[in-house]
Amino acid sequence: MRLAITGVGVVSPVGCGVDALRAAFDDPSAAAVRAFTGEPTVLGREKFPEAHAAEVWGFDPNDALGDKGHRNLDRLTKYLIVAGKGALADAGIKEDGKFISVLQPDDIGVCSSTAYGSLDSITELNLVAELEDPRYINPARFPNTVINAAAGYVSIWEDLRAPNATIVDGNCGAIDAVLSCETHLAHRRAQAFLVGGGDVVTEPLYLAFRRLGAIAGGEAKWAPGARDSKGLHLGEGAAYLMVERVEGAAARGARVRAHLRGYGTAFDPPRETSRGLHASSAAVARALRGALADASLVASDVDVVCSSLGGLPPFDAAELAGIAEALGDVAVAAPKAMWGESFAGAGALGMAAAVLWIEGAPPGPLVRGAVAEKVEHAVVVASGYYGNVSAVVIGR
Amino acid sequence: MGRVYVTGMGVVSSLGFGREAYWGALVEGRSGITEVTLFDTSNLPRNLGGEVKGFVATDFMSEQEARRMGRASAFSVAAARMAAEDARLAPKDLAGERTAVIVGTTMGEANVLGELQQAWIHEGARAVRSASLPRYGSTLLPIHVARAFGASGMVQTLPAACAAGNYAIGFAADQIRAGRCDVAITGAVEIIEKLEYQGFVRLGAMSPDLCQPFDANRKGLILGEGSTMLILESEERVVRRGATPLAEVGGYGLACDAHHITRPHPEGEGSITAMRLALESSRIGPDEVDHINAHGTGTSANDSVEAAVIHEIFGERALPVTSIKSMIGHCMGASSAMEAVACVMSIATGIIPPTIHYETPDPECPVHVVANTKRTGVRCDVVLNNALAFGGYDAVVCFARPGRLPDGAGEVQA
Repeated sequence: MRLAITGVGVVSPVGCGVDALRAAFDDPSAAAVRAFTGEPTVLGREKFPEAHAAEVWGFDPNDALGDKGHRNLDRLTKYLIVAGKGALADAGIKEDGKFISVLQPDDIGVCSSTAYGSLDSITELNLVAELEDPRYINPARFPNTVINAAAGYVSIWEDLRAPNATIVDGNCGAIDAVLSCETHLAHRRAQAFLVGGGDVVTEPLYLAFRRLGAIAGGEAKWAPGARDSKGLHLGEGAAYLMVERVEGAAARGARVRAHLRGYGTAFDPPRETSRGLHASSAAVARALRGALADASLVASDVDVVCSSLGGLPPFDAAELAGIAEALGDVAVAAPKAMWGESFAGAGALGMAAAVLWIEGAPPGPLVRGAVAEKVEHAVVVASGYYGNVSAVVIGR
Repeated sequence: MGRVYVTGMGVVSSLGFGREAYWGALVEGRSGITEVTLFDTSNLPRNLGGEVKGFVATDFMSEQEARRMGRASAFSVAAARMAAEDARLAPKDLAGERTAVIVGTTMGEANVLGELQQAWIHEGARAVRSASLPRYGSTLLPIHVARAFGASGMVQTLPAACAAGNYAIGFAADQIRAGRCDVAITGAVEIIEKLEYQGFVRLGAMSPDLCQPFDANRKGLILGEGSTMLILESEERVVRRGATPLAEVGGYGLACDAHHITRPHPEGEGSITAMRLALESSRIGPDEVDHINAHGTGTSANDSVEAAVIHEIFGERALPVTSIKSMIGHCMGASSAMEAVACVMSIATGIIPPTIHYETPDPECPVHVVANTKRTGVRCDVVLNNALAFGGYDAVVCFARPGRLPDGAGEVQA
């Protein structure tokens, strides 16, 4: 695999836009503090005094989308549209709503992921149906309950008429969107794709994870990668990469920020039939080896791993063990320590981060090892909760 | 050796379980539409659906397996096990890293979420059973199927609304051709869920009595449910194990209307593009297509646009078109996978199942509907499976008699 990344769009708790993301890596600790400091709009302090969640603070859709036409869109959809708009602009494809390069609507598609994308809207409509009457369900908001609707709206808002694909693979979705993009580009189904995804903080999601004992609430220790971390902190966000064939990007004179070089995925089913959740170092190692093989690289070529360490010790331990098995003593960053656990959003933000690291931003926050001055290759890995893992190599 | 074959199919439907029972009912023109019993519909002005009745999960899996999954996953695993048996594959033949599981859906385990939310809304967070929480998530659909066989390659869920089956089947064929796997268990699943049902009623999209695709008096769709899983294998693997393929998966076409979240583009622009791409990637012209299994939802907007698209590509040809949604309802994410079975069986038998309840031709739908009784003795070497979906998704998959398509069909073109 060798595909050109020509644009990046970001909506995150550490800021919106590439510049804000880059600035966050200059001081990850300060960025993390900012990401978890704000007046929560989803998990209100009165109702959830113990909750820590990284929201996209101060997000005003009117800034990017204008003040009309988005009243019935849910939060994730707005995040995705803004991230998509950012990536298209960054890639020099659109400006002020107009297509300004040789790439036209029929040339551009969307490969987008989310883990729990419609949960917000499903909850909203279930509350209406259960507490009031199903006759009061707003038909204009009903489409938001369909999980691919958010990505569909990205195509509608940006007039992108090449294939639109949604991938739902939990934490791995944004990485798996790379495979979708590669496949469709190889078949000439488009010239370019927005690749990434997002997720948002919702009350039912928080309650579910809390009920499962997976949330580090109140003063409980939250430290992605640490053995004594007591759970995760939820976060949210969205990111897209603009991805094109290398020759296509060159032909239109696009600035190439980085390259997608390899993809790998693995599933390691748990042996005990009663178990559902499964942390697997074997799957991590196999996905990483697959991505390296796809990139025709060896372990020593990797300068840093953008991990999916989130603060759940069994999963973090399995991921660190799998990384060590496949890549040896490589530097490992845990950016979820900055923006929390946002599932598919975290994978997408991780890929955006890796692009910036290759461009010179300091990788972080590091939980293991040290990074060479110049990052040539970064691997972004995402571990699912069921023994599924995917990885992608991003190179200079 | 770039061909991809369908070697087995499994079905959970309102018309029966397994491809023979399902196909037998389709060609008879039997309706699977009955009153919905999954939830109370007394406060709604609609009560019909293509509900799967008599499904007992433990007929297809152990108690322990059944306990850890919701209705959608159980349908998927049951369909996958039937498909494997149909392909004469033992579970061990599908174990390992070279087997991919790629599943389409619209709402996944929506009923698990619905039950969790009902408990939460009416009784509070403490009433939510923590044991049920890990059963929610569309991610789980391929995970459960993969676990059932010990498959450890790619596991992916592709939620592409009503085109999800075609997305999954096409993408799975792509992965086999790209060498990322040798065999794929692929298809789609959907269940009828309360909120989804209520939402479609509120959209005004549901018929009160019959689903009548392409009929002048059509009144809307009727929701259905079910799952179909296909075993797709590389040509090399089929030859190596001496399997008899049922059909070949040719190329497929995808496009996005980028027009409206629920309504198709009025001129069918994306749908036309997808159909043309399916033909081009299959390396055939329109004249070589023998039959179209239509999306045919029975809604005013879909059927007239779809008919216009078919007319645009195929002109005045008397190309037989059918919609089995008249019998099983609109199985949403599963629908194009359910229809894929009909495509493959039409190729294998030369029979086209009917569109039932077709009474009054609609001048706005100038297509040659296979009306009310099956058509037999027709050449069905190349069949297109057409799908449109929420989000403006358009997807068309070409199926063909093995060896009928030119070399290179479906492969990456230089």
